[in-house]
Amino acid sequence: MNLSESKDFLVSSASLKEVRTFSRDVFEKINLPQEQKDELVLAIAEAAQNIVKHGYKGVDSTTDRMEIKIALNDGKLEIGFFDKGKAVVPENIQHRQLDDIKPGGLGTYFIKQIMDGAVFKKDEKGWVNHLVLTKKI
Amino acid sequence: MTYKVTEEANVSTVFLNGEIDMDVTEKAKEVILPLVEAGKEVHLNLKDVSYMDSSGISVLIESHQKALEKNTKVVVKEVSKSVLKVIMMAKLEQILNLE
Repeated sequence: MNLSESKDFLVSSASLKEVRTFSRDVFEKINLPQEQKDELVLAIAEAAQNIVKHGYKGVDSTTDRMEIKIALNDGKLEIGFFDKGKAVVPENIQHRQLDDIKPGGLGTYFIKQIMDGAVFKKDEKGWVNHLVLTKKI
Repeated sequence: MTYKVTEEANVSTVFLNGEIDMDVTEKAKEVILPLVEAGKEVHLNLKDVSYMDSSGISVLIESHQKALEKNTKVVVKEVSKSVLKVIMMAKLEQILNLE
């Protein structure tokens, strides 16, 4: 089956639950093992959290919104994240080493574990960042 | 997220309930860390935690490390399958005290 659904959210940690609910609702329409759905929801939530935590670092509150688009085409899942936070420098993104045990730095690692690809694109007018996560399912 | 704390001798058990994400980590730390700071052995019961992300994992790491500093320990108990998977993805199953 093919599908494409998108929704926008206030950039806030309080929106993360809503992000998960949206993601779970979309994945309910796709025939996948529950375990894989849970992983995909985690990857989406981590990417959304990165926007709140890093894209808007130092910003107490904002009225900006972020958009998440989940599309499935011929077995290829593509999840887009659009935001107007600080411009991401992809080369600067790295997760901590797993044997360096300390709080933080795991979100990007989880995304890389779960997804096949994570690429920042520069083709969306009106947005600052456009992250695309992909996975063959 | 909601929580309940019970005390027995020098052991405080924190029963967490719901989903642990960035939005509630400060609240979770405010409950757990003072108990660790006081030198209590803290048991975190996660049987009713249905979801945990990297922020929740950070709370577990910070609590564990603070306990080591205070010569006590944090024991993570009754971890649900979905949360255990995240702990294992972070390769922490041998680091945290899981029961």
